[in-house]
Amino acid sequence: MTNRKILGTWLGFIALVMAIGVVLFWFRQANLVALPQDRTLFVVAFVAAAMLGIACFIVGTRWFGGIPAVGAIVVCAFMIGTIYISPQKVADNPVKVGDVIPQFVALNDDGERFDSRELIGRPTLIKFFRAHW
Amino acid sequence: MLTISTDLPEVIKKRRGVHDLKATMLSDRDLIVTDAFGLRNQLMHSGPMGEGEAEALPVPTTILVDANGKVLWIEHADNYQRRSGPEVVLKAIERHLDGA
Repeated sequence: MTNRKILGTWLGFIALVMAIGVVLFWFRQANLVALPQDRTLFVVAFVAAAMLGIACFIVGTRWFGGIPAVGAIVVCAFMIGTIYISPQKVADNPVKVGDVIPQFVALNDDGERFDSRELIGRPTLIKFFRAHW
Repeated sequence: MLTISTDLPEVIKKRRGVHDLKATMLSDRDLIVTDAFGLRNQLMHSGPMGEGEAEALPVPTTILVDANGKVLWIEHADNYQRRSGPEVVLKAIERHLDGA
């Protein structure tokens, strides 16, 4: 194996380790509800890891260096994509402070009908979230 | 506490055990409740797409209501990766329900 291919293979592994490290830190911060408003540093880290993966192929690598490099590129592209699509905007007329919440009916996890009128008489914290994933 | 999500009831039941949640958890797959509250995300859909999947998603939102259903406090996430932390919610509860 030539020196260039040894270097390229190392770059592939370094790219993957870096990508996984940033992802693990990301999810740790997410679990702590502590992801920063400005995620530029995360983007820079993901781009850097992806660039290392690309550099691995430019320099030249054996197949076992190419696999982690592709993994790093895919993971980093996915994470950057999630940052790009994460902004949220409510409808033009959302419920606001001082409004009385609309009456609604929905199914609970037993498949039974829940009527929001059951909430009358007790303060309630209502949490809308997207889904379990 | 009440949670509302696009998960199907059977999924909520399964996941409730994983997180040991005690809240009343409701399914809003068709976004009827979400739309009644005006919380459908107007920007890019970022969930699974296809048959059987929710056509859109609610903006992650926390709402504190009093015993008459009046909204005392509300917070929308400006991106789904950042939510109301527990300290923010507890502070809102203390501020608005102190003595309630």
